[in-house]
Amino acid sequence: MSTGSSDERPPVFKRWKGWYWLVVFVLVAQIIIYSIITNSF
Amino acid sequence: MQPIDWIVLFGVLGFIVLYGVLKSKNTSSMEGFLVGNRSMPWWTVCLSIMATQASAVTFLSTPGQAFDDGMRFLQFYFGLPLAMVILCITAVPIYRKLKVFTAYEYLETRFDLKVRSLAAFFFLILRGLSVGITVFAPSLILSTILGWRMEITTAVIGSMVMIYTISGGSKAVSLTQKYQLMIIMGGMILAGAIAFSKIPGMSFGETFSYAGNVGKMNLVNFKFDLSDRYNIWSGLLAGLFLFLSYFGADQSQVGRYLAGASITESRLGLIFNGLLKIPMQFIILYIGILVFMFYQFNQPPLIHNTSLWNRAMTTEYATKLSALDETHSKLFSGKREQSLVLAEAIRKDDQQNIDEARKKIGVIEKEMREVRDTAKEQVQKATGEKGSDNDFVFINFVTTYLPHGVIGLLLAIVFSAAMSSTASELNALTSTSAVDIYKRSIVTNADDHHYVLASKWITAGWALFAMAFAIWVSNDENLIQRVNIVGSLFYGTLLGMFLSAFYIKYIKSDAVFIAALIGEGIVLSVWLFTDLAFLYYNFIGCAAVVGFALLIQFIMNQIKRPGS
Repeated sequence: MSTGSSDERPPVFKRWKGWYWLVVFVLVAQIIIYSIITNSF
Repeated sequence: MQPIDWIVLFGVLGFIVLYGVLKSKNTSSMEGFLVGNRSMPWWTVCLSIMATQASAVTFLSTPGQAFDDGMRFLQFYFGLPLAMVILCITAVPIYRKLKVFTAYEYLETRFDLKVRSLAAFFFLILRGLSVGITVFAPSLILSTILGWRMEITTAVIGSMVMIYTISGGSKAVSLTQKYQLMIIMGGMILAGAIAFSKIPGMSFGETFSYAGNVGKMNLVNFKFDLSDRYNIWSGLLAGLFLFLSYFGADQSQVGRYLAGASITESRLGLIFNGLLKIPMQFIILYIGILVFMFYQFNQPPLIHNTSLWNRAMTTEYATKLSALDETHSKLFSGKREQSLVLAEAIRKDDQQNIDEARKKIGVIEKEMREVRDTAKEQVQKATGEKGSDNDFVFINFVTTYLPHGVIGLLLAIVFSAAMSSTASELNALTSTSAVDIYKRSIVTNADDHHYVLASKWITAGWALFAMAFAIWVSNDENLIQRVNIVGSLFYGTLLGMFLSAFYIKYIKSDAVFIAALIGEGIVLSVWLFTDLAFLYYNFIGCAAVVGFALLIQFIMNQIKRPGS
């Protein structure tokens, strides 16, 4: 699927996959942290 | 309310309206009015998305929900980040590439006019009803707090939104939302900090420990239960479908990221929403916990809706309510004693005393809840009004215990939140009515100026409808859930239409059109005849549309095949 023309994207955001994984990683990290809070307090 | 509160309240609201009007002058084209000339940077897109989703109900009901039910509501948002990623990969590039004004325009390029019109029609029903509730919820609460008639609070919210949405369209909506959200979160955190400062002798870390010991830190529940609204599975699965529908097929959100200056800005707006939304909800819920903690050491009112209480006390139920109030006060004295013991035990890390105090608090809390429930019944009988007292927990705390000036700020927050969501919804209803219905099927050959003017009239029409609906609708269930239920009745079907369009080339327009009607019938039947948690409606509607569309397409292909 098209992700837009390259001239629309500044170089720093070329690797979108990194952003997607960051979102997933932050979600998993939050679930782990919240589980720890639930079980600890 | 003192003069300083009124100055702060009208100062903030006046600034927002003026800023919206002045910053969005020269909005003379459809591109400008409906998608802000597609010129917004990603942070404006992100804040606009967040402000659209966070209505006044979010800031009034959510702390009350944590106060009553703990932190478990947070799980509702676990599917949101995943939805953001999926939409960045699929919907955003398609919408941007086609340069559409509305999501439903895409459905015509993929299917045909009737599918586009049906989706637009579903959206107009769901959002038309929701916008009324978006105005109604804060109007009701503000009218109670300020002692104004509900028609006045509704008119104040509605007319202020009308001024800048009619004047500047989408650009005014995005620009004002940026400041609205900043003011809202700043004010909420300030309220939380003040609540914390009034909790006697407890560090911030100890508030976690205390809240956990009385069962409020129930953030994650891994138990799978279809009838349980909030557990990790309903959040990840049902929440994912809800947020895919909301952000992918609801024009009030699609319009926000279509205003991004490029595909990058639109995507980053969504991605940062995915990163920030859960922490933001955590903060709002924890503010509710801090208010709960405050009321462990300070006498809470038996009924937080003081206006309703005062009315009930003028009826023949007054004697019984006074007796209940006295019992409640006595029970609280005992609970306060045990709360101090628990706080001290936590400080000293004395597990035996923690367990003992916790048990005693649990017993007293159970009795207090029974007294509260009886009082709620009596107040309802006395006044004839049914409503969630939890919605008044936070605002009653604000008006009773916060310093003057801050009270004005917090009320400005409620108005701002109501205005920011309403503005997006009006803009989306306008886009859909103007582009998908008026321009496509009624007046097809006019110039841009005509459509901008028509859009402004349509905005005014929807705003007046929202205000009329807000005044008409009655209050009979927890506000936040009502908004979500109205959405969930149509979102699944809409999502099914979009998923069929994005991913299944095999499905053609007739099949998806019939499947959408069947899917909507199924969702409405489930709503009417079962007790299933409403979060699952999105999944059911979506699965029904995709499943039936595949089946109908298969049958149609078989019928068309020569010789069959």
